[in-house]
Amino acid sequence: MKVDETIALLRQGKQVSEETVYTLCLRSQELLMSEANVTRVDTPVTICGDIHGQLHDLLTLFDKSGGVENNKYVFLGDFVDRGFYSLESFLLLLCYKLRYPDRITMIRGNHETRQITKVYGFYDEIVRKYGNSNVWRYCCEVFDYLSLGAVVDGQVFCVHGGLSPNVTTVNQIRAIERKQEVPHEGAMCDLLWSDPDEVSTWSLSPRGAGFLFGRNEVDQFLHCNGLELIARAHQLVMEGYKEMFGGGLVTVWSAPNYCYRCGNVAAVLRIEDGLSREYMIFEAVQAQDDVGNAIIPTKKPQMDYFL
Amino acid sequence: MDSKRTRGHGINTIQINQAREIHAQTVRARDPRAQPRPVLHAPAINAPAPNRHICNNPNNPACAHCSAVIIPAPKATLPLEDTPSISIEDWTITTRKKPILNSKELDEWDRTLGGLTMPEMIFGNSFVKIENKKHDWCLEFNALDALKAVKVEDSGIRVSYANKWIKSKQAQQKSSELAESSLQIGQHYDWTYTTKYKGTIKSGTHNFTQDNSTALPLDKLSRPDPILFYDDMILFEDELADNGISVVNVKIRVMNERALLLSRFFLRVDGVLFRVYDTRVYVEFDENRVLREYKEHEADYKYVLSKNSGRHSRDPKAILRDSNWVAQQLPLVKRECEVLQF
Repeated sequence: MKVDETIALLRQGKQVSEETVYTLCLRSQELLMSEANVTRVDTPVTICGDIHGQLHDLLTLFDKSGGVENNKYVFLGDFVDRGFYSLESFLLLLCYKLRYPDRITMIRGNHETRQITKVYGFYDEIVRKYGNSNVWRYCCEVFDYLSLGAVVDGQVFCVHGGLSPNVTTVNQIRAIERKQEVPHEGAMCDLLWSDPDEVSTWSLSPRGAGFLFGRNEVDQFLHCNGLELIARAHQLVMEGYKEMFGGGLVTVWSAPNYCYRCGNVAAVLRIEDGLSREYMIFEAVQAQDDVGNAIIPTKKPQMDYFL
Repeated sequence: MDSKRTRGHGINTIQINQAREIHAQTVRARDPRAQPRPVLHAPAINAPAPNRHICNNPNNPACAHCSAVIIPAPKATLPLEDTPSISIEDWTITTRKKPILNSKELDEWDRTLGGLTMPEMIFGNSFVKIENKKHDWCLEFNALDALKAVKVEDSGIRVSYANKWIKSKQAQQKSSELAESSLQIGQHYDWTYTTKYKGTIKSGTHNFTQDNSTALPLDKLSRPDPILFYDDMILFEDELADNGISVVNVKIRVMNERALLLSRFFLRVDGVLFRVYDTRVYVEFDENRVLREYKEHEADYKYVLSKNSGRHSRDPKAILRDSNWVAQQLPLVKRECEVLQF
């Protein structure tokens, strides 16, 4: 498998062979296996939120933020589901990681699991494109090896969802046995699922499972670990990013016009050497094929004689 | 520089109007019916109903029936308000589709709806409106009012693995410093966003009268009369942290003699239950009569899943995302019908 050729194919949204996917996934696993649960990253770096299979917007993200040839990136997870190009988006990131291992960090999101991808589009996409689910299985194997977080210059903690009451220090995350399907409870689950909210202490979500955390928990975690900021994704924000709790936590969202109908803009967060923050905002592109036809179906309502 | 040429907004307005004119001419020129056609046979006795509708917004693709306007464009290219609208006699139907709320709007809604954590996607500036100009009556479907009908109290519903989750946490609590309060629900609200919303009467003194014996004229509504205006939009949607879906969707179709609107609340909590609450509004233009039917359907998850036993698709759960199929499987829990006659 030639990585550069695969990258060129994927950037055009073209299908790669099942064998190529297999080799790519295997090599990615070998690479990810050696990574710690929490990766160390140096500035300058660009932190990116949810992608959700919006390949053309991912390409815009790279274009506008300088490209992987010259920059480092941390992706906060949720590469797949919802969009029409989950596979291409995920594989493109894997290829970049193989090609430039120290420039791409991939953190696991709550959508990088077998259970969720079966319901929210990735599985269906694979069966539609390949006629069987093999490729989906190869990708799920890779999901199990993705890291759980990253720390930028010892100051910015990156995670997909949020904090966990079981975790007070970053070192405790390093001790988690991560190479498995995301369990329904426990620290690993909380890191991928929990949400910040205006609560005074850890509290249970009204759904009956899952935690909400507030400013106190964030302040405490930052203080305990000598951190400045928690950068997370997981929740849709119209403006692409949202700072909370006096700037101690930020939600970064990188899928513009989410699901091709929300009309939101997207953002990535650039952390410079002096830890200064800069948000780069970008909009959705109208993807076109070689002859200029739109390739993402517009959500024009389909008339029907509903009763 | 000739200062007269760059004077104020008047000139721009004229330019835009000219551009509209030219665009309308282009549209007309491309309509085959506008060209003279050879007469092949005598006109049929059952001549189609005359075009009596008025397409109110030129910022849209051509109407197939009168070549003026119809179905909302997916995206407006000019900074014009994209609110397609159609009028038939005294009735006007208008829709508007806008992006999800921004943070500022969300904060305002947060205060208005106190205690409710907002659903993930709120199309809060979108609406469907049915108006009778003559009687100054207006019925609107919008997200804010739909969310006002969500209860800010414990719904009693928990996700399928809640018990297991709590038990394992309680076991942990005994051996660790996990605070007791962290296993209490901090803020009670109906996280399934169940709403019995039937639309908002925005103006007019006329009110509906309850009459459950009335039924929608399915025969008339099943006829394939040409649809002159159609729209379909989501008011709000939340995927319940990937435990299912809660969504309010509104569809409307307008024919020459009547209109039908369906506002559907669809809820699926994986492994727990389904709900479909439908509000149908039917307008018979010439009779100046409005019917509003409200139906609640509900059943537990296993029951619906068992109905699907005959299918052997690769993904048996795909059908559970189809609200039409689900609605057909669910038993009717409640039905109400109201009539309004001008």
